[in-house]
Amino acid sequence: MIRFENASVTYRGGVHALRNLTLEIPDGEMLVIVGLSGAGKSTLIRAINGLVPITDGDVTVDGQSVRHATPRQLRQLRSKIGMIFQTFNLVNRTSVLNNVLMGRLHTTGTLRSLAGMYKAQDIEIAMQALERVDIVEKAYVRASNLSGGQQQRVGIARALAQQPKIILADEPVASLDPPTSHVVMRDLQRINRELGITTIVNLHFLDLAKVYAQRIVGLRAGELVFDGDAGHADENVFRDIYGRSLTADDVLEAKAASIA
Amino acid sequence: MTSATRSAARPVKPRPSLLVPLGIVVFLLLTAASLSKQLGIGLDAAGLIDDLGRGRPILEQLASPNWSYLPETIGPMIETFQMAVIASIIGCGVALPVSFMASRVTTSGRVGLFVTRWVLNVVRAIPDVLYAMIFVAAVGIGPLPGIMALILFNIGVVAKLLSETVDGVDPGPIEAGRASGANSFQTVRWGVLPQVLPHYVAYSLYTFELNIRASTVLGIVGAGGIGRTLFAQYKLFHWSNVSVAIVELFVLVVAIEAISIWLRRRLV
Repeated sequence: MIRFENASVTYRGGVHALRNLTLEIPDGEMLVIVGLSGAGKSTLIRAINGLVPITDGDVTVDGQSVRHATPRQLRQLRSKIGMIFQTFNLVNRTSVLNNVLMGRLHTTGTLRSLAGMYKAQDIEIAMQALERVDIVEKAYVRASNLSGGQQQRVGIARALAQQPKIILADEPVASLDPPTSHVVMRDLQRINRELGITTIVNLHFLDLAKVYAQRIVGLRAGELVFDGDAGHADENVFRDIYGRSLTADDVLEAKAASIA
Repeated sequence: MTSATRSAARPVKPRPSLLVPLGIVVFLLLTAASLSKQLGIGLDAAGLIDDLGRGRPILEQLASPNWSYLPETIGPMIETFQMAVIASIIGCGVALPVSFMASRVTTSGRVGLFVTRWVLNVVRAIPDVLYAMIFVAAVGIGPLPGIMALILFNIGVVAKLLSETVDGVDPGPIEAGRASGANSFQTVRWGVLPQVLPHYVAYSLYTFELNIRASTVLGIVGAGGIGRTLFAQYKLFHWSNVSVAIVELFVLVVAIEAISIWLRRRLV
C-alpha cells in the first residue's frame, strides 16, 4: 500500500511540482497517471522511491515513511521498488546481463559487487527476468546493439530482477514507436497480473491509458484533478485534466496514422 | 522577398562581443613586446642561422650512432621500462578512485569534492623533475625516487583527465542504480565505470608513454634509468653514444604507441 498524505514537492527555485496530494494505491493495482508535461507526473513517481525529496506532508510505502527514512531504510525501500525510465537508462557499453544484474546489487555485498562476483542464484534470477520479457537470447550482447523497444524490455527485466513489490514506470513508451509501445505496455500489464506487482505508469497518450489502466489519476499543475476507474475516463474527463481540447498528439493511434 | 513579411517579433541581431578584437590586440602587443630589444629575449634571425652552422659537427655525430655502445645502454633501458611499469600501475591504480572523488557526478558532498580537486591541482602544478629532485634528496640516488616522482605525476594526469570524463557520463544509469537500492560504490562500479573504462585505459597507456619519455629528464637529477647514461655521455660530448640512447627511446615510444592504438581500438 502506497499512501500520499498531503504530500507536496517544491523544488529549489520555488516550482510547486506537487501540491497537497492525498492518494492511496492498494497492492496489486495497475495505475496510470496522466497529465501534460510539467503537470507533476514524474515528481509523483519519484516521490514514492525518494529520488525527489518531499517538502511537506509525507509518502508511506507499507507504513515506511519515505520522507523520514534513514539512508539505509531508503535503500531498503528502493530495493522493493523497481523503476523503468523514458530513456531506458541502461549502460550502453556493457552486456544486457550486466545491466539486469544491477537489479541484484541490493542483496550483493559491496566487495562482491565491486569484483563482479555475483552469486549463481542472482544470475539465475536475472536470466529468468530476461525470459519473462522474451529477450534472454540477447543476454551477452552489448546493450547499445539493441533497438529501443528491446532496450526498454531490458529495463523492465532490470526492474524485475529486484523481485520488487512495486514497479514505477516513468513515460516508458515516450521514446518508442506505436507498435513497440503496445509490446512494452502489454509486458507491464502481464507482469502486473501474473506477479501481482503494483504497477504505476506515467503516460501521455490517452488511448494507451484507457486500454491498459485499471485506474487513472489525472494531474494538472501538481494537483489531483481526476481519480477513477479507467472505464469512467471519457473525453470530457481528459479535456478537464489537460485544461484544453484534445489534439491528435494526445492519442497514440493518431500519431501512428500520421507516421504511416 | 518583401520587407512587408517581416514580423515584429524578429529580434535585433545582438551586438558582437568585444572580447575577440580585444584578444587579438593583446596578442599582438605581447608578441611585439617579446620581440623588442628592451623588453624581449633578443631573438635575432641572423644570429640563429650562424648558431645553426656551429652545431653541424654535433649533428653529424648524432646522425652516426655508435652501435658498439648499445650493450651498455640495455641495462638502463630495462630499468627505465621497469620504472615506467611500476609507476604506471601504482599511479593509475590510485588515480581511479581519486577521479570518482573529484567528479561532481559521483560525489554528494561539496567539501570533499573541493578538497580533492584542490589537492590534485597542487599535485599537478609541481613538475615531475622537481618531485624527482625532492625524492633524490630524501631517499638517495637510484630508480626509487624516479618511481615515486612518476607515481605522483601519473596520479595528477590520470585523475584530472578521468574526473573530467566522469563529469560527462550519461547520468541515467546512476539514477537507475540509486532507484534500485544499490549503494554509491555499487552504482559507480556498475553505472559509471563501464562508461569510462575505455578512456581510463587510454589515459593509462598515455601516461605510461609519458613515463618512458620522462626518464631522460629524471636521470639528469639522479633518479635512475636511461637518462643517467644519456646525461653522462652528453657531458663527455660523446654524441654518437647519446644518439644510440635517443634511437632506442624513439623505438620504444613508437612501439608503445602502436600497441596502445591497437588495444584502444579493441576496447572502445
